[in-house]
Amino acid sequence: MSLSHEGLKKEFEYVTKPSEQNHIGSALEKLDPLMQEIAYELITGNNSAVDTLTKKALEEGYSANDVLDDGLLNGMAIVGVKFRDNIIFVPEVLVSARAMKAGMTHIEPILSASGVEPLGTVIMGTVKGDLHDIGKNLCIMMLRGAGFTVHDIGVDSSPEDFIDAVEEHEADIIGMSALLTTTMPNMGTTINTFEDMGLRDEVRIMVGGAPVTQDFADEMGADAYGENAVDAVDKAKELIDLLSELKS
Amino acid sequence: MNSKERVFAALNGDPHDRPPVCTPTSVATVEFMDLNNAYFPEANRDAELNASLAATAYTQLGFDTIAPYFSIIQESSALGCDMQWEQKDNWPTVRMTNPIWKNSNDVKIPKDFLSHQDTKTIIDSISILKKQYPDDVAIVGKTMGPWTLAYHVFGVEPFLLGTVDDPAETIKCLEKLKEITILFGQAQIDSGADILTLPDHATGDLVSGEYYKRFLLELHQELVEELSVPIILHICGNTIDRMPYIAETGMAAFHFDSRNDPDEAIRTVDGKIKLAGNINNPTTLYSKGPDAVKEEVFRALNAGVQLIAPECAIPLKTKMENLLAIPEAITDWVAERGNFDVFKS
Repeated sequence: MSLSHEGLKKEFEYVTKPSEQNHIGSALEKLDPLMQEIAYELITGNNSAVDTLTKKALEEGYSANDVLDDGLLNGMAIVGVKFRDNIIFVPEVLVSARAMKAGMTHIEPILSASGVEPLGTVIMGTVKGDLHDIGKNLCIMMLRGAGFTVHDIGVDSSPEDFIDAVEEHEADIIGMSALLTTTMPNMGTTINTFEDMGLRDEVRIMVGGAPVTQDFADEMGADAYGENAVDAVDKAKELIDLLSELKS
Repeated sequence: MNSKERVFAALNGDPHDRPPVCTPTSVATVEFMDLNNAYFPEANRDAELNASLAATAYTQLGFDTIAPYFSIIQESSALGCDMQWEQKDNWPTVRMTNPIWKNSNDVKIPKDFLSHQDTKTIIDSISILKKQYPDDVAIVGKTMGPWTLAYHVFGVEPFLLGTVDDPAETIKCLEKLKEITILFGQAQIDSGADILTLPDHATGDLVSGEYYKRFLLELHQELVEELSVPIILHICGNTIDRMPYIAETGMAAFHFDSRNDPDEAIRTVDGKIKLAGNINNPTTLYSKGPDAVKEEVFRALNAGVQLIAPECAIPLKTKMENLLAIPEAITDWVAERGNFDVFKS
């Protein structure tokens, strides 16, 4: 098989890091024309095409996992690279996310019924006093696309909201978001509450948001800082690997 | 030369004794709330409390402007948005997840827009400040641009999705919302505002520089035509890619974020607009001490930034000593140089 879809070929030209070219390129080359079409339509944000093509693929006998991994996630990988490299911005990511959602409406019920193990379980929320959610929502979309189960506890989330959600869902990771300098310190308050309750070792904590920096994350005692939605996925995977090592 | 004269000289490129410290965005802190018995959220909603808290920028810190607007919510509250008023230690916020409008047909300015408690607070506060400080210090009003208003009334995600799905409809929405910007801006000018900040958050964190050109450049040029005082455009985040367009707006100054290198910003605007900024809030003003503040002020001044200011509304628990370090650093910088020719443009 080779990369025959002209549009997808052009999209792949945006992937310029050698390691990513190898990784994404070799994945794309293995795709048949239908999966290439799904990946391309997802990148361009054509949600009705992704909806139709995903349904068609499942009817033709592709497995839900194959459509997710080969079509949707390969498309999302290029969206992630373009977003990180400032080739596209939030509106374009949102239309791709909408297309992803259109595909997932067909895939999710099948995956849930088949009992496929997620990479990990993540609780995501915007901290107390902060009502901004777009960055958090982008992270959630990327994390779900990467194979995590994500529980969104919304905005204005207190330390107790995070703790309740961790306990309810037996989560591996919590991700806290803040846009305001007034609410950033609530990340530290939440981490301290986990410590006070003796729950800090139970969960890995990552933070992010426009004013948040690595230094600030370190100062608050977070385990990881996600600079953007793509980075958040990488950090979540690293945290899961660390947890696995600790458990083994 | 008094503070007001200094600010106008800097904006106009006329000779002045030292670069001014300005407040395009809020410098209210919890410490000043305590000093004035003027607390959030009430200080956002009561003109007397608002004016007394705002004046501390001039009376306590020695800044050259007073800006009686501590958040970005007054217009949206008056339009009927769902509000979270918060407490002393946090800014009030619009609940953007509960948008009030869906499309341009919904955009209607309420008859009581200017007499609503939250818009009237600012208008009345400017009158109070103008009476107290008629010509000593520049009074900076603030009127939200159509892009920021659109986030509030349509919700961020629906609005941004709309820019892709139906750009013509987006332009219609912005055209209609622009009338709110003009209405509130003009009311503040009538009350005595010497300058207006116009926050319009088409930030690089969300949209491209080309978006700025496509959706906002002409609208911002129209706003400059409509509003008779100097306007300081404020956009947070990475903005270098849109600064060449911003430089073409005719705005008096652009208030920029610390994520943009001041040398690069100065080169990019190429003398077509003055720059105000860009002292970092979360790391420098909030977390570090006066030495770090001084270092950053020097960096901005060495680059040629004409008006020194925190990059955005300062964290409410910023220490006063760090704010005082801003004008002190300017004094030191001027003393070290021994002349000030660079600003006689």
